[in-house]
Amino acid sequence: MDIIFFRLALAVYLLSALGYLGSLYTRRVLVARVSTWILFSAFAFHTLFFAMRCIKTGQNPVVSFHEMLSFFAWAMAGIYLAFQLKTKTRVLGAFVSPVSFLLMIAASKDMAGYVSIPAALQSNLVAVHVILAVTGEALFALATCAGAMYLIQEGLLKNKKVSSFSKVLPSLTDLDRINHICLMLGFSLLTLGILVGSIWARSVWGSLWQWDPKQTWTLAAWFAYAVLLHQRLAMGWKGHKAALFTLLAFAVLLISLVLTSLLFVTAHRFI
Amino acid sequence: MNIILIGMNHKTAPLEIRERLSLSCGDDVNHLAEIMNIPEIKEGLYLATCNRVEVLANATDGEGAVARLRDFIFHHGNLSAEEMSKCLYLHHDHEAVRHLFRVAASIDSMVMGEPQILGQIKDAFRTAVEHNATGVILNKILHQSFRVAKRVRSETGIANNAVSVSFAAVELAKKIFGVIEGRNVLLIGAGEMSELAAKHLISRRVGKMFIANRTYARAVKMAEDFHGTAIEFDMLPERLHEVDIVITSTGAPGYVLTPPMIEAAIRRRKNRLLFLIDIAVPRDIDPAVGEIDNVYLYNIDDLQDIVDSNLKSRKREAEKAETIIDEEITKYLEWYSALEVVPTIISLREKMEGIIRGEIAKSSAWMENLTEDERRNIEIMANSIINKVLHDPITGLKEESKDNSALPYIAAIRRLFGLDDK
Repeated sequence: MDIIFFRLALAVYLLSALGYLGSLYTRRVLVARVSTWILFSAFAFHTLFFAMRCIKTGQNPVVSFHEMLSFFAWAMAGIYLAFQLKTKTRVLGAFVSPVSFLLMIAASKDMAGYVSIPAALQSNLVAVHVILAVTGEALFALATCAGAMYLIQEGLLKNKKVSSFSKVLPSLTDLDRINHICLMLGFSLLTLGILVGSIWARSVWGSLWQWDPKQTWTLAAWFAYAVLLHQRLAMGWKGHKAALFTLLAFAVLLISLVLTSLLFVTAHRFI
Repeated sequence: MNIILIGMNHKTAPLEIRERLSLSCGDDVNHLAEIMNIPEIKEGLYLATCNRVEVLANATDGEGAVARLRDFIFHHGNLSAEEMSKCLYLHHDHEAVRHLFRVAASIDSMVMGEPQILGQIKDAFRTAVEHNATGVILNKILHQSFRVAKRVRSETGIANNAVSVSFAAVELAKKIFGVIEGRNVLLIGAGEMSELAAKHLISRRVGKMFIANRTYARAVKMAEDFHGTAIEFDMLPERLHEVDIVITSTGAPGYVLTPPMIEAAIRRRKNRLLFLIDIAVPRDIDPAVGEIDNVYLYNIDDLQDIVDSNLKSRKREAEKAETIIDEEITKYLEWYSALEVVPTIISLREKMEGIIRGEIAKSSAWMENLTEDERRNIEIMANSIINKVLHDPITGLKEESKDNSALPYIAAIRRLFGLDDK
């Protein structure tokens, strides 16, 4: 039953992604406005899916790698929708909804069955650790979308190619603000997530930190974001440099998120 | 149909001739009265703006009315008939309606898509209505032209992009800052275009306004006009970091703002974005400034390029607008062809017969108890009631149609009985 909602959400994410891309192509805001509502319904279906899974199994719904991807998509869509309420950045959806859809495709590969959770992972700490870390990472993904859009819009304005395309993109100041807010929130959540994780690790593995490849790369990404935030807050980095550095930091984070699970032998991989 | 549109616009008549005509056009009401005095004209509308003078009329005798309207224009233009006729255009019937629709939709304007023309037509229409110069036909055409204008504005992008240098600057500022409200503006030098841009910015409620000029007294004077603060020219580098938008238009031969000055300002601004608009020729701002991070520099040519490309895109949108106008012309012709006595009588009867059929169908439940004869009698009675009710209006319509004055009655009947609602 719950898997129906997952598939529904997947289909509706695709619909909203097509809508947003269509709005970019036709340069019509109305199309984007409709797409926002479509994305909202995809998010609602996805939320229902998580709720039903939770009730049915009585356990943390985000354990396996694929579940993590699906939760990532959900968090990104949710955060974007929350931003949409406050700022005029509708076109950001054209970046967010395709990413959410692709994540859902990747997640759907292994979503139908239920995974039984090893005893070690049945702690509430694990649930908190995963949810904090993934939400933080979703915020970073959003910061990256905003940064990428900033670079595009900036390139258009600097080179005086003020086309109708630059008209549909949000203003530089709005994009920079979103980038800033996402970085601050994301960094706080990821930090908390790592702390909670190491507390749990101490109880299971006996030490706070293992220098496992996954942990090492995550730490590297954490440092990259720490440097970026420092530059932003203390050195007054804004605009171009901050946007560019956001993209770099996210590349490191992607390695820790995806490549370590695929390429390295890691103790952080459980199922 | 005997609809006539005669007039001249910026494309057909040079400024001197338009001027001469509109100089004598101070008083629209008298002109309208003069037009309405022409015996062949039943309804009339007089439209005069700085780019066009047009008369729209519904006449009984087309040729006679045109001759007299020509005289009217020659007389006021104070020109020879030969000279004037070169500038005049004349449209009949649905081409006249199309012309008005195009004017209302701002396709025929000097700056395509400008919004003022619709207001001017509405004013002209109001004057005409107040002086009883319009009737069924002109009312319909004008109301439909307002709808055309509305559709063209909302369904095409004809009014989307800035087509003046100062508006282009305001739109760029929006792309950079999001909201212009509260941003501080610095105006260096004086000039028509820079002051216009400043006025556009002020209307968006910018924050503080600073004004600098080589002649300090001039800056103080302008500061009064703009409710701003005058800055001494030499103090510019000290104050640059306080502003978000700079507009320069001095007559200085060299650069007024140089990369080191802007770099220092950006540092003091903690990298907040800075938008520089250089309207001066020769340029006031060293082009190298545009290379600095978080600084956006546009000169007059850059802005003009934006305006040109926007004008081009408006022309593309105008093609879509022509399709909308075609649709509306078709609708108008449908409406007009229905405005004849016979079709109106037919649709009036159809409507009534439809009502009878509907009511009988509704009553079929209890009518089943009646005999066949009784049922037929009820139908006959209903039909004869309708015939009695319709008898006088139909006779009246036929009588009026003999001397060509049935139009208002037809229009009223169609409206009151809802014959045009589908």
